Amino acid sequence: MPLSRHESASLAKGLLFLSPWLLGFAAFTALPILLSLYFSFCDYSLLQPPVYIGAANYRELFRDPLFYHSLGVTAQYSLMALPAGMLVSLGLALLLNQGIAAQTVYRSIIFLPSLVPAVATALLWLWIYTPDRTGLLNYFITELSLHTSNGAAWLVKPHLILPSLAFMSLWGVGQTVVIYLAGLQDVPRELFEAAEIDGATGIRRLWHVTLPMISPVIFFNLVMSIIGTLQVFTIPYIMLDVTGGGTDRAGYFFVMYLYDNAFTYLRMGYANAMAWVLLLLILSLTALAFWSSKRWVYYQGR
Amino acid sequence: MRLLSRTILALMLASAAALLIFGPRPNPHLQYRDGSPVPPNVTRIAYWEKWGGNEARQMNEIVDDFNNTVGREKKIFVQYLSISTVDKKTLTATAAGVPPDVAGLWDRQLTQFAAEDALEPLDNLAAEHGITPDLYKPVYWKSCTYNGRLWGLVSTPYAYALHYNKWHFWAAADRLRAAGLDPTRPPATLQDLDHYAKVLDLRDPGTGHIERAGYLPMEPGWTIAVTAYWFGGNIFDEKTNKFTLTSPQNIAAFNWVRSYTLKLGDAAMSQFSGRFGELFNTPNNPFLTGQVSMVCQGPWMANYIYDLKPSMSEALVPYCLERYLPRVARPFNYKWDVAPFPSAVPGLNGVTYDSFDVLVIPRGSHHKREAFEFLAYVNRQDVQEKLCSMHCKNSVLASYSRDYIRTNPNPYIEMFEKLAASPNARGTPTVPIYPLAEDEIKQAAQTAALQLDVPVEQCLQETQDRLTQKLDQFLDGQRRRVAAR
Repeated sequence: MPLSRHESASLAKGLLFLSPWLLGFAAFTALPILLSLYFSFCDYSLLQPPVYIGAANYRELFRDPLFYHSLGVTAQYSLMALPAGMLVSLGLALLLNQGIAAQTVYRSIIFLPSLVPAVATALLWLWIYTPDRTGLLNYFITELSLHTSNGAAWLVKPHLILPSLAFMSLWGVGQTVVIYLAGLQDVPRELFEAAEIDGATGIRRLWHVTLPMISPVIFFNLVMSIIGTLQVFTIPYIMLDVTGGGTDRAGYFFVMYLYDNAFTYLRMGYANAMAWVLLLLILSLTALAFWSSKRWVYYQGR
Repeated sequence: MRLLSRTILALMLASAAALLIFGPRPNPHLQYRDGSPVPPNVTRIAYWEKWGGNEARQMNEIVDDFNNTVGREKKIFVQYLSISTVDKKTLTATAAGVPPDVAGLWDRQLTQFAAEDALEPLDNLAAEHGITPDLYKPVYWKSCTYNGRLWGLVSTPYAYALHYNKWHFWAAADRLRAAGLDPTRPPATLQDLDHYAKVLDLRDPGTGHIERAGYLPMEPGWTIAVTAYWFGGNIFDEKTNKFTLTSPQNIAAFNWVRSYTLKLGDAAMSQFSGRFGELFNTPNNPFLTGQVSMVCQGPWMANYIYDLKPSMSEALVPYCLERYLPRVARPFNYKWDVAPFPSAVPGLNGVTYDSFDVLVIPRGSHHKREAFEFLAYVNRQDVQEKLCSMHCKNSVLASYSRDYIRTNPNPYIEMFEKLAASPNARGTPTVPIYPLAEDEIKQAAQTAALQLDVPVEQCLQETQDRLTQKLDQFLDGQRRRVAAR
């Protein structure tokens, strides 16, 4: 049905208001994505025009041991940081939701670290993790006599690098805590009262009432955490790049290898291929999460 | 509602227009040292450099000197900008067609950028200014050329040498003499170095933990990729265009690196060296704190010692009174000393790794001739000596004045000058994938040092195979691009 004159004018006005965003999206998001796909099939150094080479970059990628190594490092980190982050943030949110005095003060304190820029966070934690007694963590460890020498080399020993970074990621749980809090406060009180009347203990109320009711929020945070942990770059790049990802490249994340290929080794085509592989991986895991959500996510009204 | 939406639209359009008309512009308010403004008919040169802090201040002084002398005469004004990750920013700016006129890179990128056609060749401009190879220490000039053309001029060069703690030697004099070693001189051969290191190692008698290491190849390990130089070898043969990591010299070099782990014990060494991390420019630098007796370092160590541990250079009198000491007494004021890093090959003396910071003119620069005026100025003898004195580095030029030696804050600068010009000095290989190669070889060295179950030959063979494949890919890509033009 053709639009009336009034409807056409309305549509034109709407598009005009949307146009800055649409132009920006086209120029700075859609176009780079399409170009990235094209460059992934090219030999491209950024300094010379791209030359089409078909799927050679992808073939090389799947034969590259460092590709698998960096993917393994990223996966190990995700398996540590993701559950730890979700458990800690949910735990803090449940504690904050108890109606304690000065709740807003505690909420602000927990949220503040997530506002600190990533570079400042990395430099702060470089000091905390300094391998000798001048490092804050080692200082307390040796003062409490928990270690016989000067403490541990948190960012040097290969087996300590990833756990140190995963522990450090808990510093930024503030945003997730706030999201959980909002979800917790949305849970109808009647459900808790009904459960209490039926004799449910605290743990059973948590398991049978709270968690199902906030499952959409848990699902949202899970998807965001999957995307975030697989793309981690800034913190390990600042803390470990000088050493090439740490001893034995134990902290050489996927995106660090991507960055090195793009800007250090001038292999932009290869780096673009890596980016698309990462995108497909994240899409697959997100799709898996969405598929599994049918079994454990409960939306109100369903 | 209609009025509101029209008002909002009008405001948006007005904001856009205001931004276009009155928005940010390049700062026109550049000034000379005397405060006078730079006239509009003077060519402005953007100079991006990696240095911050003291080194930036010192280079800024050179830029100021240029602007007030040659710059005024030739109507050129150089604007110094301290840029972090200058190599990556220069790369993206050049790719976008808006490069700086002069960029200060590292030597490891020079051939890479030149091979990618990202730099302006400087041969003709150098010839016009009378800049010829014979004016330079040979290794530095050679490392600035690729495929027969000149691509950059050095700003500050350096040579690596053995820095050792004399007081550790004197304190261990009895033990050194008992081992047949002379505590009053540095090791003359690599085997000597190993013996000195063994005697100087100190362990806690109770726990067996290492308290002090005589020497650690990976501390700081900046020359680890080219360790083969001290074994009479190379990592890349420029005649055949092939990596030579599996040569007997490289295998011997990496086995030597591994020997320190075997000697000190894998667990003990990890526990000891693991505490160092990236402490080079802090007061906890292991050489400055006396935890390591000998290191392979560059001439800047003198500056870092003055800044972070001045007591190492004030054994007799404070630094400010040192000028009153007779010149022959000056070395006794220092608890540290410098000597050429010994080699493993008898008779192969004066081996060093000559590396440098380099000034280049990126492709697409709008003021090539004016930019080169600045490069030529930095390579004048008086300017080189002033800049390198401030940075405590040796000069790039073949000749230097006595005043430069006499007034240099580095008491061992003459040794560095001779070492850098030594016929056995080696430079950065001119291979287009050198940044990748250096990272891979450093990882191989780490594997050699820490993964004792992996044979050194296997590790080097795998690294060489990977690098050969990457170099072949790069050269194939170059041929493809030429064919596509």
